Amino acid sequence: MTFIVNDGCIRCKFMDCVEVCPVDAFHEGANMLVINPAACIDCGVCEPECPADAIQPDTFTDPRWLELNARLSEAWPVITMKKTPPADSREWLGVPQKFETHFSEASPE
Amino acid sequence: MSAQNDATDAPSPHHHARVLWTRHWTDRLFSFALSRPPALRFRSGEFVMIGLLGGARPLLRAYSIASPTYAEELEFFSIKVPDGPLTSRLQAIRPNDEVLLGRKPTGTLVLSALRPGRRLFLFGTGTGLAPFLSVARDPDTYAAFGQVVVGHGVREAAELAYSPLFTRDIFDDDLVGELARTQMTYYPTVTRENFERRGRFTDLIATGDLFSQLGLPQTKFDPEQDRVMLCGNTAMIRDLAAVCELHGLREGSNAQPGDYVLERAFVG
Repeated sequence: MTFIVNDGCIRCKFMDCVEVCPVDAFHEGANMLVINPAACIDCGVCEPECPADAIQPDTFTDPRWLELNARLSEAWPVITMKKTPPADSREWLGVPQKFETHFSEASPE
Repeated sequence: MSAQNDATDAPSPHHHARVLWTRHWTDRLFSFALSRPPALRFRSGEFVMIGLLGGARPLLRAYSIASPTYAEELEFFSIKVPDGPLTSRLQAIRPNDEVLLGRKPTGTLVLSALRPGRRLFLFGTGTGLAPFLSVARDPDTYAAFGQVVVGHGVREAAELAYSPLFTRDIFDDDLVGELARTQMTYYPTVTRENFERRGRFTDLIATGDLFSQLGLPQTKFDPEQDRVMLCGNTAMIRDLAAVCELHGLREGSNAQPGDYVLERAFVG
């Protein structure tokens, strides 16, 4: 089992999770983070830290998130320290269909 | 450039700490202490990665630090699993052996993840007691809470490691002895053999026995003044978290302090 980031992170990208991860399992894309399932030790500390409730155990989610996290953690760089979230991050909390409308595979700028 | 140079040029993701002592409680439980690297900072209640070299990659597991934040050594409380990838080897460590220690302690079982309150209940099962050995030996805990209840649930009485600490030694501690004497209550319970107190925490709470045995007039947790930390196996965490929610307590985190926090005790 691993924890994964779902589309709740898109454009919110608060990055509180990064601060608490003991194994630096988070990778950063242009507008969301993912967890490297191979690095995640399943400690669960990041889950309650996410203001967007975007982190879940993979057993309780659509398998596509696990696939996305595994694939993009290969492509995106590791992030070990929290950065400044986007200025409008709170406006994207709970916005539906973010994956379909705002997902980006781009690496961070 | 040789492979040797490649390895030494990269900063190691781990400290290399020395084993200071080991203590074997039962054939399933032991404790050990590591030298504390000067650069390693942590908050009481946090965990850190511990591991051993061997094979292609170091083998690491998360361990709660049982020492309080001011301690000069780092104490850990571990199970021994005969075929556990790490603990089968870790149980054989001896003083002066080298152990890998992560550089990034973290965790949720910290005072700052809880809202202010009057009473702090610490419920640990098995080696899930470890983070509370840290929290209960930190003077800040007694400054924040008037009463601190240290609950340790085990299957057999022999697994009540640290019973001598909470019934005797802590009261002689220079830093927290006086505080513990007036504010700390040790609450051990055993599920599978005769003991002065028997049963699971969930049952002791449901029957109200927990509160009456502590001399409290209430029959439930009080969201206004009770705060709870949980550490143990998955089922215990799930059941006690449900009890907390039922009593009106809300889960906290580092980002958003609440009324209770939880962490699974790590195994293997």
